[in-house]
Amino acid sequence: MRAHLKVMAGALAAALALAAGSVQAQTVRLGADVDAGTMDPRVMRDTTAYRVNNLLYDGLVQLDANLQPVPDLAASWENPEPTVWIFNLREGVSFHDGSTLTADDVVYTFETILDPDLKARFRSLFTPIEVIEAVDPLTVRIVLKEPYAPLLSYLDMGIVPKAYVEGGGDLSSAPVGTGPLKLDSWERGAKIVLVPFEGYFAGPPAIDRFEFVVVGDNTARAQAFEAGDLDIIQSPLSPQDISRLAADDRFASSISGGLGITYLNMNVSDPLISDPALRRALAALVDQDTIVNTIYEGVDQVAGSILLPSSWAYDAGITQPAFDPAAAAAAFAEAGWSDTDGDGVLDKDGAALRLTLSTHSEDPNRIQALEYIQAIFKQNGVDAAISIADWPAFSAAVRGGQHQIALLGWLNIVDPDRLMFGQFHSAGTLNWGKYANAEVDGLLETGRATIDAAGRTDAYRAAARIIASELPYYVIAYQGYQVFHTDAVSLTPDARGMMRSAIGMQ
Amino acid sequence: MIAYTLRRLALFVPMVAGIVAVTFAIMLLLPGDPAVVLLGEDATDEAVRDIRRALGLDRPWYVRLGSYYADLLRGDMGMSIFQNQPVADAIGQRLGATLEVAVVALLLSIVLGVLLGIAAAIWRGTVIDGGCMLFAQLGVSMPVFWFGILLMYLLAIRLDVLPSIGRGDPLLFALGDLLRGRPGPLLDSLAHIAMPALTLGLTNAAVISRLMRSSMLETLGQDFIRTAHAKGLLPPRITFVHALRNALLPVVSIIGLRFGALLGGAVLTESIFGWPGLGQLAVAAISQRDIPLVQGVVLSFAIAFALVNLLVDLMYSFIDPRIRFE
Repeated sequence: MRAHLKVMAGALAAALALAAGSVQAQTVRLGADVDAGTMDPRVMRDTTAYRVNNLLYDGLVQLDANLQPVPDLAASWENPEPTVWIFNLREGVSFHDGSTLTADDVVYTFETILDPDLKARFRSLFTPIEVIEAVDPLTVRIVLKEPYAPLLSYLDMGIVPKAYVEGGGDLSSAPVGTGPLKLDSWERGAKIVLVPFEGYFAGPPAIDRFEFVVVGDNTARAQAFEAGDLDIIQSPLSPQDISRLAADDRFASSISGGLGITYLNMNVSDPLISDPALRRALAALVDQDTIVNTIYEGVDQVAGSILLPSSWAYDAGITQPAFDPAAAAAAFAEAGWSDTDGDGVLDKDGAALRLTLSTHSEDPNRIQALEYIQAIFKQNGVDAAISIADWPAFSAAVRGGQHQIALLGWLNIVDPDRLMFGQFHSAGTLNWGKYANAEVDGLLETGRATIDAAGRTDAYRAAARIIASELPYYVIAYQGYQVFHTDAVSLTPDARGMMRSAIGMQ
Repeated sequence: MIAYTLRRLALFVPMVAGIVAVTFAIMLLLPGDPAVVLLGEDATDEAVRDIRRALGLDRPWYVRLGSYYADLLRGDMGMSIFQNQPVADAIGQRLGATLEVAVVALLLSIVLGVLLGIAAAIWRGTVIDGGCMLFAQLGVSMPVFWFGILLMYLLAIRLDVLPSIGRGDPLLFALGDLLRGRPGPLLDSLAHIAMPALTLGLTNAAVISRLMRSSMLETLGQDFIRTAHAKGLLPPRITFVHALRNALLPVVSIIGLRFGALLGGAVLTESIFGWPGLGQLAVAAISQRDIPLVQGVVLSFAIAFALVNLLVDLMYSFIDPRIRFE
């Protein structure tokens, strides 16, 4: 009887699907904002490549929805000493070309990433690796130069087949992975078509076809979705389109904390901005609530500190100065700034409080946010000018420490280390303003070297507390991640925009 | 005329050399470093230095420019820094799509513009004239991306008659299918190209219609038209044979120039309609400071532009046999 019912239900579902005209329910079409630059996971650098490669390749681990590493090609691992990691590979895993995965492929993948000639985008994530070696065909041993707790979070890097690459195979256009889908066709600039890999170790996925369709314009992509020509769209979306799509009951939508921040980079090497008291006063003039809830229409979340809510280290108790013009005025006065000549601009020792706010031209909402900050600064006696340039020009200036206050963001923060060590350690490679605090240095080193989760949490929280008070960064927003999809697709949102759940994998 | 064509083609050589130099200078003066874009913001200065060396960006500018010329002479446009493929391949895969939509937009705008212009001139001062000129006014004032989004909203979402994004089979292939008795692909291709071509051609149609109207009015007031009427010729024959042919000359001369604007507009149109052309690639290349690719795209646009203008100049002699090329 039960079986009978099941058949009936199945037939009914099929009939409904036909009636709804969704005969191609097994094809999933995802709208992407850019084309992939390459299908070689080792050198990928754009979000589309990141997401395509996640379906074409497997890593030693996958990150689950909570960003916790779970077994993938590695069935298990051990960490016998703080600097030694041993990975036991799954048996009988095939690449798309039919060859079998061995430890040599894993070693080859990481050795080539570490080779500067490959120009791998993520090379710096793996430089703490001293040696990576194959113990036997199914065992890989990694020896680190020093304990490096974030390593596991970065080992979702796709493993490539050594023999194929060394035999002249071109992964960038003819990818061969072990993942659930393989490349069917790639119409550059338009469409990437993936189809199931029958030999996938966990069994082929539940769809017939997965397409990444490139539409550069955010609003046009949202409209193509409304017109039924796409099944899934996700961040980046224009905040202006989101409320309309969310109100449409044909679509399922989900918003969750993303892995990015939008922040003000306060250049501590600038003579004016170097005073922490002044930075705190300026921070009290940043109206986070209006920026996040009006300009970004509530897609993002008002930020409290450098730690993301999605992180295990998050602590809601750590806060930066809140928007409070009265408090700002008091703080300016305390720091010696007052309007002595009555021209509406604060001054100190005969010099007026003038500074430049900068951002890049690609995101109109960032420009709007900066103009809003400028207006409030001016109302409160800070004569702020604005400088806008395109991303390469803007980022060159910020990298060179030529900015005063810059509005920009960080993405893909899967571990607090990724947002703090390079940025705030006095020897950090991304510390463009040369922020230096011996206590923060010590805490960030501890966070890196401690494997124990509680110890790491304490270290990062202590560092975040200092950052929230000294403000080399003022974090405006935790970026939200938004995805819309039709009923034909079932999906578990993943803050990185990965699509394994949309093909029935977890 | 063959000699004239060859002479014009020979002028392409200094043109290409000049364009390469100007593009190179602009890219050199723009702040921003492809090595940094390539490695991402979290790259170390040391890694950036290594990449600059690997890409040859550390050489003096005259060495880089000279070696680009040398490569170009051998037919090598270099490797794209970001696309992981030769520039010639990246362009070859997309140029067809851009030319297709630009040419269809051009044809569409000529037909639309000329017809509206004639109608406005013949019925000068009537509602028809007013309507045509209102169209022209709107057409030149509406931003391309706004019109494209609006068109998509109307035709793909509200009325659901056209696909919102993508491209069908290339039109030439689809025409081949039609000759073999299969009209399906052609209909599909036309449905896909309709909105991008209309979006791209709108401004152009507006400009042409205004020009056509004034040129037609001028011609209709000339003596030979009065003579034609006096001879007792039928008005349609006077309008479409005697007047049109004369009024068309100034219009033809701007069509070539407008092709440049069309190629520029393709950049926006393509990113709206997910059209797999050079426009989207060009934007990406500039924003990534992918110098070899920018050079390649600018060169192919420039050559296409020059070729269309050559073609237009040659067309003069067909439209007006009095014009001879020496």
